[in-house]
Amino acid sequence: MSMRSQVYEWANLAPSGSNSTLRRNTNDIPVSVPANREVDLFIGGYGNNITKPAETTATQFIVIEDIACSPTVNGAVQTRINTTDYFQNPDVTDMLGIPGLASPYPRGASSDYGTTDNNILKAFDLYPDVYVLPGQTFQILYTTRDGCGTSSSTTEVVAAFCKYTLYDGPDALIANKLLELGVTINPNNVDWYKRSLIEQQQASRVAAATAAANGGTA
Amino acid sequence: MSMRSQVYEWDASNYGSATTYAVASNIGTKISIFVGGVGNNITKPAETSATEFVVIEDIAVTPSDFLQSVYATTSATYRGLTIGPGTGVAGPRAYVQVRINTTDYFLDPDNVPNDGIPGSGSPYPRSVNYQPSFNLYPDVYVLPGQVWDVLVTMYNDTGVSGASNFADGDLRAFVKYTLYDGPDALIANKLLEMGISINPGNVDWYKRSLLQAGA
Repeated sequence: MSMRSQVYEWANLAPSGSNSTLRRNTNDIPVSVPANREVDLFIGGYGNNITKPAETTATQFIVIEDIACSPTVNGAVQTRINTTDYFQNPDVTDMLGIPGLASPYPRGASSDYGTTDNNILKAFDLYPDVYVLPGQTFQILYTTRDGCGTSSSTTEVVAAFCKYTLYDGPDALIANKLLELGVTINPNNVDWYKRSLIEQQQASRVAAATAAANGGTA
Repeated sequence: MSMRSQVYEWDASNYGSATTYAVASNIGTKISIFVGGVGNNITKPAETSATEFVVIEDIAVTPSDFLQSVYATTSATYRGLTIGPGTGVAGPRAYVQVRINTTDYFLDPDNVPNDGIPGSGSPYPRSVNYQPSFNLYPDVYVLPGQVWDVLVTMYNDTGVSGASNFADGDLRAFVKYTLYDGPDALIANKLLEMGISINPGNVDWYKRSLLQAGA
């Protein structure tokens, strides 16, 4: 039973000689990322990865609240639930997702490597949030139009960031209930639902006691 | 009976004290900012007594920035951060994790505990160049009798200005929490049972409702 704020950070950093790593290392160096290829932050084979695709169990509910990526090399970040991309063009065709220039990571980063000319601030807010229902698989996909490491002399470091809240156990059941009710799922509303359940229980207890005091009639 | 806003700041060099702390022996490992033996520490592990309740509201650590490997030969700074030659990363590449008893709070999507919040997502200090992408909501509750810790991990040993030892400001962490003590801790427990967020406003509301019920 919990609601936990979680963060996942990805960067194209891995030990020399490999493209990806399961654990961050002290000797990580930037690895090349090809242009116009969607790279799954979790199991994409570039940079730091995790052991299996990101998915929710039957007792988990995830609410993705923010995604961002480096505002350089024309990077963009997309969310995919099962096989469906979240962001799409007005003609319902595929797109790369939110540009790093609109949702930068780190916030305040420069749009040009090594220069201190500008501070890119966010122009995009992921609202409403993206829900990952129990049993669904989700991906966060990073794409760079320019590619990293296309020059033989240098490789750019790019990063992406995802902020989400993990609801587990009874809180995931409540999240499902809120979804059915059409209420936004956030910690406040989950708490509100718990309070309303407690109030209902108290009211029914009082009604039962009153009925007992009146000889069985309410 | 009190609610007190509290802050703990940690510096890996103990603010440039005469005692030195080696970088090499502390990279890639989780360092407790309270009793880790590096930087400024306290006398014993952080724990709540039977009459205390702690709500952790913010954690942050020194930020890092992402550049290019072209900086292989030039050891320079970028926006106040030391560039790690060849790594393409400026700054310590640091992360901060919260541990309650033996359980790490932040997990990867495969449910494996991770390093925690990156300094680039929750920077300390905040600046125009490095602004937070993360806020710790919902807060983390430390119930009476629990031990808690804040752990910092850094991976870029060449991203600190001290060559072999931490220098002042190379690696810092920050924790903001509220300490509820005595009757206020009891009220905090009651709010937790009721599923109400624990903050000073709600504790005051509960007190007012008790007074109204007694009037």
